Amino acid sequence: MDKEKYRNMYLVEAAEHLQAMSEILLRLDSEPQNHQEIDALFREAHSIKGMAATMEYEETARLAHRLEDDLDLCRKRGSVDTTEIDQLLAGVDLLEALHDDISQGREERSVESYLHTLAPGECSDSPVSPVQPEKEEGRQTDGGEPILVRIDLAETVPVAAPRLLVLLKKCSDFGIVLKSWPSLDQILTDKVDGRLLVQLRPRLTTQDIHVQLAKYSEVEEISFPRPTVNSSLGERPHKSASVRVSTGRLDHLINLTGELITIRYQLENALKQQHLPDLDDGVGQLSRLVKNLHHQVLQVRMVSLRALFSRLSRVVHDLARSSAKTIELQTDGADIEIDRAIVEELVDPLTHMVRNAVDHGFRDKKEGIISLKAWRDRDQVLVQVADDGSGIDPQVIRRIARERGLLSAAQVKTVRDYDLYQLICQPGFSTADTVTGISGRGVGMDVVKTAIEGIGGLVLIDSTPGEGTSITLKLPLSLAIIRVLLIESADVRMAIPITRVIQAVEVSPADIHSSGKQLMVDYQQDFIPLLSLRKILKQPKGTKKESLPLVVTEVMGRRIGLVVDRLIGQQEVFVQHLAPPFDQIPGCSGGTILGDGQVVFLLDLQSLLERRKKGER
Amino acid sequence: MPGSVLVVDDALFMRKMLIDIFSQAGWKVIGEAENGEEAVAIYQQQHPDLVTMDIVMPVMGGIEALKAILQIESQARVVVCSALGQKHLILDAITAGARDFIVKPFQSDQVLEVAERVVGC
Repeated sequence: MDKEKYRNMYLVEAAEHLQAMSEILLRLDSEPQNHQEIDALFREAHSIKGMAATMEYEETARLAHRLEDDLDLCRKRGSVDTTEIDQLLAGVDLLEALHDDISQGREERSVESYLHTLAPGECSDSPVSPVQPEKEEGRQTDGGEPILVRIDLAETVPVAAPRLLVLLKKCSDFGIVLKSWPSLDQILTDKVDGRLLVQLRPRLTTQDIHVQLAKYSEVEEISFPRPTVNSSLGERPHKSASVRVSTGRLDHLINLTGELITIRYQLENALKQQHLPDLDDGVGQLSRLVKNLHHQVLQVRMVSLRALFSRLSRVVHDLARSSAKTIELQTDGADIEIDRAIVEELVDPLTHMVRNAVDHGFRDKKEGIISLKAWRDRDQVLVQVADDGSGIDPQVIRRIARERGLLSAAQVKTVRDYDLYQLICQPGFSTADTVTGISGRGVGMDVVKTAIEGIGGLVLIDSTPGEGTSITLKLPLSLAIIRVLLIESADVRMAIPITRVIQAVEVSPADIHSSGKQLMVDYQQDFIPLLSLRKILKQPKGTKKESLPLVVTEVMGRRIGLVVDRLIGQQEVFVQHLAPPFDQIPGCSGGTILGDGQVVFLLDLQSLLERRKKGER
Repeated sequence: MPGSVLVVDDALFMRKMLIDIFSQAGWKVIGEAENGEEAVAIYQQQHPDLVTMDIVMPVMGGIEALKAILQIESQARVVVCSALGQKHLILDAITAGARDFIVKPFQSDQVLEVAERVVGC
């Protein structure tokens, strides 16, 4: 069998089964006696086992087989308890790690230690840690944590592979060898470079191991690197290179392509006969088709937020358990679809936000609700993480903002609470008085903000002390093709992503007021400051006009009115990254080519205005 | 601590050299063999602490002899001797159960280091 051919198919399908398993387990956590869920879980494990065995992914198959056995016991008993759920979740984590190994083309890691964990119903006096089954192996060993042993051969050793083989065999005298780099196979095929790293569960102390290895004069250096901690939390879902597309969508694409070919002949004919009405008609149809095609192609890139939400559910579950809190997670809108590139960028920020919610939100409470919501608003997707925890005390933020010089004494008095909350996204701003293991190092929200703005989104924070905090992300549907507002300033056309525009209006000079140096405009019963784009871009001053075209936007949580020369209109554009050195232009996040061949830059108002602010200081 | 050793090699010169190295270091050389078959027969009778085994030999090769000796005693300590170019043979021998290996040409302290290490544990 040509395994390579089926590998991608396996990966895509296995990922779906794995996701289903996590979801079911989390549901079982609140409903441990749901027979149907246990049955479904059993079937998922069974499917993975069958697929993996066919593909000769032996470790995966062994592990899936074990999970299947365990679930069979649960199925017969009709329930799963909390310890078992944790153990099964650890099993799913391990399956995901194996999935990762396979997708990266690595050798599968060993599942030996998991297979030594107790099966459901086997007695244990103390709760069993699912991943490190010391209890079980304590009979043969002193039950040490796995350690790494690194052996470097002297450069003068003439035949490295046999030497490493002897050393690897020697290591099994020190304990149970879990894994080695290079692997046994690599050593036997002479794929070595004079180094050996062995992961083993030791029977001897590192000192004794050192003494034993020092007897080999070929060994130049012996060290015991600290193993890196592998936490399942915050790990990215697998980025897979292939996408599953429904045949319906494909058929649609083929139909559209067929129609395009027809139109082409129609246009060629019309051109030959110089028949303008036919040409006009053809171009009309062509633009309709292209629009449709664009829409369909975008659809292919769209994925639902379900996988992301289920991962976040898992984060909440694990964090709540580790901090002994009872937290209910309510999700809504998991079916909302968004460009897969955006979903990938959302993993880290949302994980961070959810951790914040568990840790800060419920600092003083032991139980509560976290809601994870997504919804569509025209061309945007909104994703919100809200908690009903302690909320953020605006006075604390006022104090910190003053202390760190983010606001002047006068500003501290006048700033609205809502604007104050947006300051949390400033680098180094943390309201946590103590740093906990989960979050609170002050490197949180600014990273979230940077990531979200990097994909053209906005972060909005709201909080009511005693009632909770909500953080909303406003996101574009797609990264490549976006709707922009075209504007003109000093005869230069520019584009602003529509996600950043609250409204485009024309105001009459009568609505403009002066407050000190700053010009303000009356906008929806609120005075907002006016900024001139010409001034920001250091373009020559314009002439006075009857009415002022204005783009109302939000920067750092504050509404501003950006004065431009002309509002041209909205358009969908294909955004391209600027090649160096143009990518260094401040305030410019990309470029696009309009229908008439003109190159238009995409304005990044946020960085443009922030830069200006810094320049002022 | 030196123990008893059986030296197996089809070249008389090599046997002589190894025997000298071991004797001078206080080892008791209980015998020598020029092929695998002889080696297995001597091992059966004497059960030495260590066997140094050439890999390429007539009649019965070193790896075959190694396997036969391990059949007699699973904990037998056999060290293979081989030339530099026979890396894959050394790997095969270790996989088959050889405790360590010596690469020809060798120096006496290398031989003794390997021998003491293997018997010492």
